[in-house]
Amino acid sequence: MKKVEIFDPAMCCSTGVCGPGVDPELTRVASAVYSLEQKKFDITRYNLANDPGAFVENEVVNQVLLEKGPDALPLILVNNEVVKVGAYPTNEELAEWLDVKAAELQEKPRVRVSLKLDK
Amino acid sequence: MYPMFNPNQIALTPFLFFTGKGGVGKTSTACATAVFLADQGKKVLLVSTDPASNLQDVLDVELSNEPVAIPSVSNLFACNIDPEASARRYREQVVGLYRGKLPDAVLATMEEQLSGACTVEIAAFDEFSHLLSDEDVLNQYDHVLFDTAPTGHTLRLLQLPTAWTGFLEESTHGASCLGPLSGLGEKKELYAKAVESLSNIEKTTLILVSRPDVSSLVEANRASSELKDIGIQNQILIINGLLQTHRPEDGVSTAFYNRQRLALKETPDALKQVVTFSLPYVAYSLTGVDNLRHLFGSYTITVFEDDNLNAEPIQLPGLNKVIDDFSSKNIRVIFTMGKGGVGKTSIASAIAVGLSEKGHRVHLTTTDPAAHIAYTFEGSVLRDNLTISSIDPEIEVEKYKQEVLSTAGEGLDEEGLAYLKEDLESPCTEEIALFRAFAEVVDKSENEIVVIDTAPTGHTLLLLDSTEAYHKEMSRSTGDVPESVKKLLPRLQNPEETGVVIVTLAEATPVLEASRLQEDLKRAQIDPKWWVINQSLYATDTTDPILKGRAVSEKRWIKVVNEELAPQCAVIPWLHEEKIGYNKLKEFIL
Repeated sequence: MKKVEIFDPAMCCSTGVCGPGVDPELTRVASAVYSLEQKKFDITRYNLANDPGAFVENEVVNQVLLEKGPDALPLILVNNEVVKVGAYPTNEELAEWLDVKAAELQEKPRVRVSLKLDK
Repeated sequence: MYPMFNPNQIALTPFLFFTGKGGVGKTSTACATAVFLADQGKKVLLVSTDPASNLQDVLDVELSNEPVAIPSVSNLFACNIDPEASARRYREQVVGLYRGKLPDAVLATMEEQLSGACTVEIAAFDEFSHLLSDEDVLNQYDHVLFDTAPTGHTLRLLQLPTAWTGFLEESTHGASCLGPLSGLGEKKELYAKAVESLSNIEKTTLILVSRPDVSSLVEANRASSELKDIGIQNQILIINGLLQTHRPEDGVSTAFYNRQRLALKETPDALKQVVTFSLPYVAYSLTGVDNLRHLFGSYTITVFEDDNLNAEPIQLPGLNKVIDDFSSKNIRVIFTMGKGGVGKTSIASAIAVGLSEKGHRVHLTTTDPAAHIAYTFEGSVLRDNLTISSIDPEIEVEKYKQEVLSTAGEGLDEEGLAYLKEDLESPCTEEIALFRAFAEVVDKSENEIVVIDTAPTGHTLLLLDSTEAYHKEMSRSTGDVPESVKKLLPRLQNPEETGVVIVTLAEATPVLEASRLQEDLKRAQIDPKWWVINQSLYATDTTDPILKGRAVSEKRWIKVVNEELAPQCAVIPWLHEEKIGYNKLKEFIL
């Protein structure tokens, strides 16, 4: 399975409701990631404000930050290779990387439960 | 009428909290109690949790967040929990680890995020709960006294444990706003202990401090019932500054005395259930250890320098000059600022009434959670060109949540919605919601003059701080930022649009307090235009020895304000009655 990592800029919270206005893009990403996590996909978010260690330990990320500074965030890695710089992935991109249908990212929880039982 | 307060008369718990509207004398009462207990050989720690504390002014010692021994009183230790400083320390702790490992520009974005209002709140609460749950503190000290912040802030601070305990339990994913606090598991236990200590009558006593005036009694009643609701049952009330006698032939003295007695008669019923004590009105100021010792000795007068009163009298204009000035310069946004209890609401109301009398369209509002405006205008019929509103934190939070859920929540599934709702439960939502409401009101100034009676100092500072933090953040956010929010800070900084009035009393603490507020405003590039010295006994002709004693000590502070602090200064004499209702408020400006 592919590994997707999202390195967020420094944020108070990952849905962005703590800003002066809510960024719908952030809430979309938050809920897509949450949905994928529930399905046991290997997807992780790191927030610079509370997980700066991840930005140091990952050499690829560290290198990009040294070259481009904070504007490179959000930075997206798939299997530790940079796939997107300075923007969040669309649901279609996430679906492609992880080989799921984009529509599945918006499915209701109980659908997921029944899928699991089918396995 | 009430027994004189003496710490020996109450069952002394390890934790003693002093609370009440700003300016009622919480700090001096707490200090006097601490000195009294220390003099009896008890080991005492005095803690201030006020973001704008005056503990060091009263004790005349430089304080930090670590307890220091007070040189002039053995057994007494004091510290000042400054949430801003705690947040700074926390920030350095987090960011410092990565200095040199991440580029400076990246570190700067981290620091900026960690400067938000919620980091400050978290840092303050964190320190606070350490003291409440640390066994060592209890082993080391017989009593820990908290000189708490003005009520609005106090309530939030004290309500935090319950709010957070619930929040931690319900938090199912991600750290959200608690992110900056790593290791939530250990904190949870700490916070649970803090909550337990607060609601344990064996451990905690809440000492409500009130002046014998209607608004501070109403406030004490509110605090009493609200804190009772969150489990703090063990409460006593101190009526501070009660005039013992009066001179029948002296108008001011008689009115002063009668007004106090009348206010006490109207004590809210619920508050009457609380065991009540009194402390006398004294001619001297309650700063310095010697004067603090006099308080429980019931000395009302010390040295009285009569000569100073009549030498070189100070002449200052009244509030009407302030109103004339704003009216002629066409100022659109007017703030009255100052510590709680100095009469910001009355002054804001009087300015609004004065401007509307001059034919301007005026809107008056309050961001003070205690919302005194409804009380100030009780039973009045208003002119057509004057409207009034208040910003209620609870309503604003609800409105904000609904707005977010209806815009950002669109297209999300159940899980996504649950996630969003979770983040909206975080404590900083309130800050944002209030802030936006504030911006909306100021936005009205395009069509009418807006007069705002801001919340007590600590809260105000946080609000203004938020203003700037949000402005920085906006340049990055792609979210939908209301136009009113974008325009706010530049407007506040424009002297042709905005007028800030600092309201103070001619006493040491309020003046020092107000000068710090002015400094803070200047840091945000906001220059106050006027200072108003309210409730001045110096501006009356009293002959009552105690009141005259106060008038003498006032003179020094009026001079300081007029000569060193205020660009322009007005004074309002102590008035025979509280100005409630439109027509009474008009008398302010005659």
